[in-house]
Amino acid sequence: MSMKSFELRNPKSLGEAISLLDSNDKFHERTKILAGGQDLLTEMKEHIIEPEVVVNLKSIPGLNYIKFDPKTGLKIGALTHLADIAADKNVRQFFPALAIAAESVGSAQIRNMGTIGGNLCQRPRCWYYRNEHLVCLKKGGKNCLAASGENKYNAILGGGPSFIVHPSDTATALSALGATLTISGAKGTRTVPISKFFVLPRDNPRNENILLPNEVVTEISIPNAPRNARSVYFKFREQVSMDWAMSAVAVALELSGGKVTDCRIVLGGVAPTPWHVPDAEALLKGKAPTAEVLQQVAEKALEGAIPLNQNGYKVGLTKALVRRAVRYLTETATPPPYRDVNRM
Amino acid sequence: MSQAETKKTTWGPREEHTLINHHLRRLDAPEKVTGRAKYTHDVHLPGMLYGRVLTSPHASAKVTNLDTSAAEAMPGVKAVVKLYSDEKGLKYEGDPVAAVAATSPELADDALRAIKVTYEKLPHVVTPKDALRKDAPEVYKGGGKGNLRQSGSRGDLDEIKGIMAKCDVRVEGEYSTPIMHHVCLETHGVVVDYRGGDTATVWASTQGTHSVPEDAQKALGLKNRNAVTVLVDYMGGGFGSKFGLMLPGEIACKLSLIAKAPIKMMFTRHDEFVAAGNRSGCSVKLKLGANKDGKLVAMQSEVVRLGGLEQGAFAGLPYVYNVENVYSTAAALHTHQDGSVAMRAPGHVQASFVMEAAVDEMAAKLNIDPLEFRKMNLKDTAYHRQLDKGAEVIGWNRRPKKAGETPLVGAFKSCKRGMGCAVGTWGGGGYASCVVDTFIHSDGSIATQVGTQDLGTGTRTYIAAILAEEFGLPMSAVEVRIGSSKYGMSVPSGGSTTTASLAPAVKESTTLAKRLFFEKVAPMLGVKPENLTAKGGKIFVQGQPDKSLTWKQACKVLGRDNIAAQGKWNAELQGDGLHGVHFAEVEVDTETGAVQVIKMVGVQDCGLPLNRTAVESQMNGAMIQAIGYALLETNIPDPVTGNMVNANMDDYKVPQAFEIPEMIPVIDDGDTRNVVIGMAEPAIIPGAGAIANAVFNATGVRIKSLPITPDKILRGLERLKRS
Ligand SMILES: Cc1cc2nc3c(=O)[nH]c(=O)nc-3n(C[C@H](O)[C@H](O)[C@H](O)COP(=O)(O)OP(=O)(O)OC[C@H]3O[C@@H](n4cnc5c(N)ncnc54)[C@H](O)[C@@H]3O)c2cc1C
Repeated sequence: MSMKSFELRNPKSLGEAISLLDSNDKFHERTKILAGGQDLLTEMKEHIIEPEVVVNLKSIPGLNYIKFDPKTGLKIGALTHLADIAADKNVRQFFPALAIAAESVGSAQIRNMGTIGGNLCQRPRCWYYRNEHLVCLKKGGKNCLAASGENKYNAILGGGPSFIVHPSDTATALSALGATLTISGAKGTRTVPISKFFVLPRDNPRNENILLPNEVVTEISIPNAPRNARSVYFKFREQVSMDWAMSAVAVALELSGGKVTDCRIVLGGVAPTPWHVPDAEALLKGKAPTAEVLQQVAEKALEGAIPLNQNGYKVGLTKALVRRAVRYLTETATPPPYRDVNRM
Repeated sequence: MSQAETKKTTWGPREEHTLINHHLRRLDAPEKVTGRAKYTHDVHLPGMLYGRVLTSPHASAKVTNLDTSAAEAMPGVKAVVKLYSDEKGLKYEGDPVAAVAATSPELADDALRAIKVTYEKLPHVVTPKDALRKDAPEVYKGGGKGNLRQSGSRGDLDEIKGIMAKCDVRVEGEYSTPIMHHVCLETHGVVVDYRGGDTATVWASTQGTHSVPEDAQKALGLKNRNAVTVLVDYMGGGFGSKFGLMLPGEIACKLSLIAKAPIKMMFTRHDEFVAAGNRSGCSVKLKLGANKDGKLVAMQSEVVRLGGLEQGAFAGLPYVYNVENVYSTAAALHTHQDGSVAMRAPGHVQASFVMEAAVDEMAAKLNIDPLEFRKMNLKDTAYHRQLDKGAEVIGWNRRPKKAGETPLVGAFKSCKRGMGCAVGTWGGGGYASCVVDTFIHSDGSIATQVGTQDLGTGTRTYIAAILAEEFGLPMSAVEVRIGSSKYGMSVPSGGSTTTASLAPAVKESTTLAKRLFFEKVAPMLGVKPENLTAKGGKIFVQGQPDKSLTWKQACKVLGRDNIAAQGKWNAELQGDGLHGVHFAEVEVDTETGAVQVIKMVGVQDCGLPLNRTAVESQMNGAMIQAIGYALLETNIPDPVTGNMVNANMDDYKVPQAFEIPEMIPVIDDGDTRNVVIGMAEPAIIPGAGAIANAVFNATGVRIKSLPITPDKILRGLERLKRS
């Protein structure tokens, strides 16, 4: 499949890259950042977008690294491949949820090429959005075609006017790990907690995050909080071998004297952004994770879910994953060693 | 020995086979795994152009303006054809509008995009529900007849209702299967090499080498079928969807007539989903009545086939089981969707799933072991033998005796295991058509040739086995030539008829070749031809193994002459009528709705297996395809836009490594018929039924519509909890 002709730019520095991006390109359509290309090139081949200029980040040195320091935590360059993150010793030991999430993405080929920056900034997978001939809300149309259409895989939380779910596995894990993103733009650099990075369609129906058209995510950093070493990512897929999350849950928690003293719970595959559930966390904090407590936490996590006509099953499914994740993390006094739980 | 004295050809006693009925490695396996095998997709000719087709994005539309001028003006674009006419209209997403040929695939894509089309959308129906609405637009203008076309009924409704009312137990349900896709690894397509003049060569990804020449000759306006040579060295899967020149071939011929250059026209994956045909779905109302003692007495059914623009397929109900009192109706319901074509056991997979679900439910209601219940209602003892065998292999007694009543297992103690079984039937017989030639030369070369094709089923390998065994040679010493329309006639591979049509003709050809050869060799050894035997690379006198010639020595006798022996079909070497059963063990996660098949056993008869490895491979492949059908695969049409929303390999989900269970293919050696019968289609039939029944056995939830996805399981468990 052919793409529309475009100009490929290979900047040598971040500054140059930023200057090549059009600051007025409100919907990020004319100038696009290229990382591993696993999403961007697909979109271009399918003519979902037809940018005029493609700015290749891979020509900029120094954006591919994983650095760990017990004091300052983990720093990952935006161009780091998912396969490298999944295999990293420190990531596996101190931030297992991220290793598991990275490992769960697509196939080995995609993880070898795809970067973490690209994974966070990838576009929705909703089949209406991905059909060249349909102009859905995400592409400037009037309606979300999933709202009244085939919506088995769409959002049950935070939906409206668009009902996409955010496709990124690492986003859910990073949200539970309390990551911050470093963003570089024309006016310099800003750091943003990941919870402020993604935006709901009601605030911006066209873009999934706060990036300006000429901004680049350069680094992901995660604090070395004790709870992060006891973290997990449970992803449920319909096609076990390779699939997007039908629903997913990332949990990081601290356990002391049989009680959960600190925790973060984030849902994936059910909302247009990673879905943080502080009310559910509050129900878990300070308590022993009995079956009854887990049930209450799960109920709370899904409170406010408004299923569309085909995705009501996600409510029960996600509750089950919440219970499962907390159980998995609290069954032993020491954190469970890294294990790819993706097909458990 | 004169013609009259010729002994009747038989396959000989089973214990005497040295190759046939053994496990043989596929001859072309090294070519395939190293990529040396050249499929139509791999053909590259000097000056070849790439064809692409522009298809309708709408399920129902008219074209009000079709402007190809910009495409035609592009440098490198060598031909553009319009494929739309007002009479034809556009009746499905995928209906061809225009096509181009250009010097690169990318350029061809660009040219398609340069074609300006104005569509006037017309009302469409793409779901059964919409198609049945009173005010539904008619897919075929039939003067208000609607979209439902009755195609027959059987029995007397009032009589059956009376009998049904008297039955001790009744079950009733509405069942459905989705439209499924073949997902051939190699998409549909051809390379047409026609540069003007009197002849053409066509490489085709087809199930019928000889089904293409006539179509192509007509499309190119050539004199007769001999003007076209069709080559099918390797083909990447068809499953019933590839006969004749087909849409890409027709279009390629049109383009080559303009461009006078070779055209490669392979469907894209998207084209494949929307315009290459599919397996029809169905929606069935079925009622069964039985006596307390476990005898099925009455059946009432209403079958609606969902074949899009086509008729669809559904085997008759009651499928396989003996039910004396039957009332049934059948109809086709049309929608604006690509028409169905044959797909691996057309009609049978649908009917088996529906019938087996109802039978299983009846067994549960009567509290009879579902396996025993089946035996009570299956007359043919072949099924009894196969059911017993399958039960033994899978360990049937391990299953929960009462559906859903089984301990929770798995890492989170949330899973339940259960087992199910189902049966299927098929013909598999052949017919007269194949013409097979065997040649022996004085240098010891020996070859059998016929214009058949190898769909991956192993045709090439069993031809070699028959030939090599006949002459007591290793398979590496013989040559097989297939895949050319210049070789003798062969049947298209449909209905699992190839083996039963071809193998007898191969056997006749090799038998005759041997007889002619022995007539030449016998004088050298001073004996009569009938006293000779070929074995272990030697020709020797029966009972006197020291009186022998090596194969090479024997062949020298031919001198400048050679042996050419033609064989045709012999009905007595083949048979008809197959039985198969599947058993499945599944693990259902009651919290997530995930269904994992953990073990599957297939038992299949096929008369005399020519290559046991190939038969087992067909059974394994069929089980995998059945898992896709049971758990994952479905064409999802959006009623609002009219589009198939999952027309890609991301959203149309097929089984991959982690979906594959332990599989045990069992060839039913209790079948002692000494004839060959085609078995590749029947091997899939009972799969989905066995899996669905296993899900019921594990959970107590009966899912009546395929595929059995987690959302359906979770909803089913909810319902069960409430009731
Ligand atoms: C078949 C398939 C299966 C997949 N399965 C999964 C899955 O299971 N889970 C999952 O999470 N993902 C999945 N993906 C998505 C895949 O993981 C992402 O597409 C990939 O990680 C993107 O990384 P990339 O480097 O290739 O990004 P690119 O394709 O290069 O870029 C993706 C997008 O992000 C933007 N972008 C990239 N880098 C930056 C940056 N540093 N700053 C700002 N913007 C940037 C680009 O402009 C583009 O819009 C799948 C993809 C495919 C094709």
